[in-house]
Formats: sequence, structure tokens, C-alpha cells
Amino acid sequence: MLSRTFDPNRPVRSGGTIARRALPFLLGILLTAPLPAQQAVAETASDQQTIQMLLQRIDRLEARVAQLEAARQAAPQPSAAKLESAALALVPAQSPAQMTAQAAPPVPPATVPESRVEPELEHPEPERMDMSKTLLRIRGFGDMSLSGSNASGRTTSFGLGQLNLFITSDISEKFKFLSEIVFESGPDNFYEVPGGRSNQFSVDIERYLLQYSYNDYFNLAVGRYHTAIGFYNTAYHHSTWFQTTTGRPLLFQFEDTGGILPIHNVGVSASGRLPSGPLGLHYVAEIGNGRASRSPLQDEPVQNEVDENNHKAFNLALFARPEAVHGLQIGFSGYHDLLTPIAAPPVSETILAAHAVYMVPNFEWLNEVMVVRHSPQGSARVFDTPGFYTQISKRFGSYRPYFRYQYINAPNSEPIFPNVGLRAGPSVGLRYDASESVALKLQYDYNTLRAQPAVNGLTLQLGFTF
Amino acid sequence: MRRRLGVPITAALAVLLLDVCPHTAVHAAGDPQGAVQPDQTLAIVVNQSNPVANLTLQELRTVFLGERSHWPNGRRITLVMLEPGQPERKAILREIYRMNENDFSRHFLQGLFTGEVFVSPKTLATPVGVRKFVFNVPGAIGYVRASDVDESVKVIRVDGHLPEDKDYGLRLQPHAVK
Repeated sequence: MLSRTFDPNRPVRSGGTIARRALPFLLGILLTAPLPAQQAVAETASDQQTIQMLLQRIDRLEARVAQLEAARQAAPQPSAAKLESAALALVPAQSPAQMTAQAAPPVPPATVPESRVEPELEHPEPERMDMSKTLLRIRGFGDMSLSGSNASGRTTSFGLGQLNLFITSDISEKFKFLSEIVFESGPDNFYEVPGGRSNQFSVDIERYLLQYSYNDYFNLAVGRYHTAIGFYNTAYHHSTWFQTTTGRPLLFQFEDTGGILPIHNVGVSASGRLPSGPLGLHYVAEIGNGRASRSPLQDEPVQNEVDENNHKAFNLALFARPEAVHGLQIGFSGYHDLLTPIAAPPVSETILAAHAVYMVPNFEWLNEVMVVRHSPQGSARVFDTPGFYTQISKRFGSYRPYFRYQYINAPNSEPIFPNVGLRAGPSVGLRYDASESVALKLQYDYNTLRAQPAVNGLTLQLGFTF
Repeated sequence: MRRRLGVPITAALAVLLLDVCPHTAVHAAGDPQGAVQPDQTLAIVVNQSNPVANLTLQELRTVFLGERSHWPNGRRITLVMLEPGQPERKAILREIYRMNENDFSRHFLQGLFTGEVFVSPKTLATPVGVRKFVFNVPGAIGYVRASDVDESVKVIRVDGHLPEDKDYGLRLQPHAVK
């Protein structure tokens, strides 16, 4: 094991020798010359923080002791020596100046008194929740917009976007809770079939996960998650502020706004790195209820509690983040489920997706392609819906112009989403980061549709985090 | 006579060298071995119980970015940063993250949001605080000036080098162009 040794001949230590010799002189100066007030204030603030940290640590250790005492009532009380050694671990490390002032000889790391380290090794961070205080952390995301288009039935309107409360809690060193609670105004729109009422807010729990992190190679999450199909779905979730553009690509629209993918899933997800050296391979393996077959279309698309059949949806994703090109991610995924619509034969659903993404702070280039295949059982016919998008942007100070082109082409007789059809076209826009937490975006969209007039749309959006 | 001429010639060459190549001249004049001053380099410090002794700069980057979450001994990695505005933090953002403060904040917020980052970095005000934190938390990793290091923490090598080595990469100021 390599560790730093402290050679007394090195400059740091030679400074210590000088300090020892000059100690009486320095003490004289210190006693006669008052410290500047500013320095005193800074040191006080620093000490306060340190004290707070140590007090919190003492609280944790006391709670741990209480827990051990409760669990081992028959066991003898901790010895005074043991408690002393634990307290020694709390003794703040001395600064180099203090150490040299005490004229202590340099101590190599191997000879650091074990009593100062041992308690940490014996009693790692407690694997339990401290019930005396909340561990919740809340971060919010929201957006408001003004949008209009020449689509029939649409009016130019101010609109409240999703209000997203992102809540996490570090339950222990290994367990963590994560959720996204989203308030959004209706109505839902299932493949052009409206559901719910306009202007009425509703609440959706978009993510609801208990995560377990064993090591870099194995992490487990149970609950409702975003399916690891492609890149976008697990990169941005329900925050428009994170996104460069005003909205998600058509391919990754949420189920309740006409999306064709099973964006959400309820089940179990395992993920982690794969031993692959500089290639940086990662995996995601998921099994869950999958989505409902949407019959009738107004049904909730995410099967939160009851699956419509016993077949489970599974998804496997592999991607690489090569060390040689930081910011590059290349991957693919395969998803399979069985849908069982009412009064129709079961439909096998297979989704294959691939992506190549390059993202660094000043530049991004996202490319994703996929095909959704529906195969009604008992029929030789299959329905393939291909789609892709490419998005590129570059940052110039606070400004980030961007361009996106997207394409979806669903067959007219598609059994699961009959009203999607062809949608394709470019979007161009400008994002302006007014502050670290607020972004203003202006975006123009042009969409060609099958057997319908093209749609022009303009959106001004304010996205923020709080 | 030859010796008398040699002294001024050597002095003139030294002056010329100082003028043409100041970086080399500093070493030649102030530190014949090329060692850097400890208050001008950053030491990456971990808990004394951490078995890791050396990381490549790339590995260090993955650790600091939160892309690696555990040490080989199974301990969760807890990153501790100094507060914004401090020169040590600026150097780390420049040399390891290659980000500014806003990008750094956004990176970790998005990492927590996606679930890829399990624990956000701790922020402390002083190098003393960093040393104490690293001393107390077995999986902690942080940075201080090499002159602020004591034996309560363990300094790890970066690309095989310690802060006092000539080829050590993590310096407070950007590398001078030679």
C-alpha cells in the first residue's frame, strides 16, 4: 500500500522545525498584537461549522450506542476505554501549525494511533434512519409557456406546465428513496382521444422508487421508474428545465400526451457497470407490468397496481461510455411485452432502440432511432412503427441555439395506437439561461402529417428549478 | 584569466536563460530538483483506512463526477468539496471536472435526478474541515493544498505522482506553457 510519508527534510516539515525554534518569538507577537477582526470572524464561522458537524456526529454515535444497548440488554455496558476510544475519533485533527507548535515528531501514517481510526472501522455509518429528523430533500421543477399553432381546434394560450416535486431521502448508506410527484393540468390526450377535463389539475406520481446500491456493478430499484428505452427517457424525466428544448421528442412523449412508448413501468430494475475497462460498459435489466393495451383508450396507460395479464414486460439495455471520449454514450435496448386488448387477440410488442449521444457542457448531439413492432397473435401480419430524432445544440455564453428533426411513421391500421400516423419535421429554437436556475426558450416547430395539413407552432417557455 | 572570463560568461548565460525561459529558470534558481511548492499543488486525500493508493487522472475524474460510487473495499464514496470561490475548488473544477460552477451544479443535480449519483458532494468551508471530514468518514475523498496535509489523512498518488513531484498534474494555477 502506498501512502504518503512525512519526511522531516521536506519543506513542510522543515517549516515545522523553524516554527519550533521561533515559537517563543511568535507567542510574544500573538500576545501583544490583536488579530484582525475579519480573520476572527472567519475562524469563528469555520469553528461553528466544525462544531455543528461534530455535534451531529456525536448525535449519531449516541443513537448508535442507544440502539446497541437496546439490542443487547444482556450484554455488559460499554467499557470506559471503549467509549474513550470512540470519543478520540471525534477529536478534531490538528492543523499542521498546531502540530508543529507542539513540537511533536512526525508520525508516519502507519503509526497513527489505532484508537483514533478503529472506532470508524468498527462502527460504520449506521444502517438505519434517524427518526428524530426528516431526511427528505425536495427539489422542484416547473415551467410556464405561451404557445400557439395553426392546428385545428388550438388557440394561443398561456399554459402551466408540470410542477414537479423531486423528493429523495437517504435512508441509509445503501438505501435511498426517490420520487417525482407531478402536478399537471389536464386534459390527458391518449392518441388524440382526450380524457379528463381541461384546465383541471391532477396529480401523478411519476417515479416512486426504493433504490439499493450494493456497489458499482449492482444497483437495484423497485417501484415505478422510467423504462430504460433509449437515452432520453432516463436522462430528463419530468423536468423541462434540464431539457434544451421546450419539450420531449415525439418518440418520447409521455403516455398521457399521446406517446407511443411505455415510458413508465412498475417493477424491478437492476443496473450497474460491466467490467470492461476503458470501454465503460453499463447495463440495465428491467422486469415489470409494462403498459396497458389501452382498451378502452381512456384507461390509465401505466399499470400501477394490476397488470392486465400475467406476462411481464422485460427490457435489457447496454450502453458504453468510453473513457477516451468523455461525454460520448452509445447504446441499444430491447423491450418485450404482451398486450391483451379487450375483444381482440393478444399483441406481442417488441421495441428495439439504439442511440449515440455526445454531451459536454458546451455542446450536445443526440441521436436515437427505434422501431416498435406489434404482432397480433394468430396473424401473420406485423406492424412496424419506425422513428428517430436528431438534436444538436451549442452554447454561446448564456445562449444555446438548437435544432431538432424528428420522425415517426405508424401504419394506418396500427392495432395499439391507430391515430399516430406520420409525424415528421424540424424544430429550431433558442435557449437563454437567465440565471443558474431559470431558462427562457423560444421554439418553432413544423410538423408534416399524413393526409392532413402541416402544423406550424411557436412556443415561448420559462423553465426553472427551485 | 580563463577562469576570470568564465564567471561573467556563466552569469550572462544565466541572465539570458532567465529571460528566454523563465519557467526553467525558476526551477534552476529556486529548486534545483524541480519540486513544486506545497502551497501550489493540490493533494487528493482519503481516509487512512482506504486501500486505494493511486488513481489515474481519468479514474479520479470518474470518482469526482460521481460515476463511481464505491471504493474497492466496498465503502461508499463520499466526495467533499470546498465552498465555491476558493482557489482549490477552482483548480479542481478546471483540472478534473473541466466545468464551471454552473455546469458542476447542474451535473450533480441531473445525476441525482436520474439516480446515477447516489449521494451529492458535501461542501465544507475550510481545508481543516475537509481534513476532519475525511478523517471521520471512511469512504470520503477530498482535496486540500499539499501544505495543508497532515497525517490524519492519506494522500493518494495521481498518475503515480505525489504533490511534491515535478510531474504532478493538480496545481493551483494552470500549467505554464513551456
